[in-house]
Amino acid sequence: MNGPTLNNYLTLSAVLFAVGVYGLLTRRNLIAMLMSVEIILNSAALNFVAFHHFRWGGDAPGAVFPIFIIAVAAAEAAVVLAIIIVLFRHKQQLDVNQADSLKH
Amino acid sequence: MNTFLFYILSLVALLSAYFVVTVHNLFRAAMGLIGLLLSIAGMYLLIDAQFLSAVQITVYVGGIVVLIVYVVLLFSDVAQKLELETARWRQAIGAVLGVAVFTVLWLAIRGFDFTIGQNLDVKSASVTDIGTALLSKPSEKGFVLPFEIISLLLIAAIVGAITIARAGDGEKKPEQK
Repeated sequence: MNGPTLNNYLTLSAVLFAVGVYGLLTRRNLIAMLMSVEIILNSAALNFVAFHHFRWGGDAPGAVFPIFIIAVAAAEAAVVLAIIIVLFRHKQQLDVNQADSLKH
Repeated sequence: MNTFLFYILSLVALLSAYFVVTVHNLFRAAMGLIGLLLSIAGMYLLIDAQFLSAVQITVYVGGIVVLIVYVVLLFSDVAQKLELETARWRQAIGAVLGVAVFTVLWLAIRGFDFTIGQNLDVKSASVTDIGTALLSKPSEKGFVLPFEIISLLLIAAIVGAITIARAGDGEKKPEQK
């Protein structure tokens, strides 16, 4: 069994994390920033699953954390999208540079 | 064969991730996000996490991305206005910080010998195992407390999202009178 090793998966998830950080820092649109955060969360979940497989022999507790990550991502997406709708209603745009006040 | 699939999937994942963070059209970015999520789901299949792969596709692709696409389409008439250029120096700083993050992570990964324990008798966690782990007490290596907290978090997020999105309606009415 000489498939990809744990290091391959960790390197891939590190690259994905870096791409997500780059997107989070450079995009000015709130929806695009949310998608960058999803990339970061996915790279973290991939890390969990890779360790779960290679170091823990595929035991059940390792598979629990990615499920929690997905649940938190769903909650986050719901709240962020509600905020986007309200922000757009007030300001007619989604530029985070303009959205620097808490009310109106 | 596994190695070949791994490299194909990582190529797809990296290209679609790059697509998501660079393309201006938000709908296309959402499609790139679908490509990324599907390739990650394929990786889960490669490392014997079939249940997680199914969850990834149903919840992420079928739920979260659809939600994002809904909001993108809600604002599609103004999507042209949403094309915001990022300043060059911001892009440079983002790239430098991204490379720095990767370098630190890569040095940490390289500095540790992960080959120990790699010849474990690998099995794939069945749905029964995962369900038992989610619902049993911490003394039985279970995660019932985080599980209940996640359910509270989801309810709070749903109620909060509805309240936030509705608040604008109540504020507009006095102005119309």
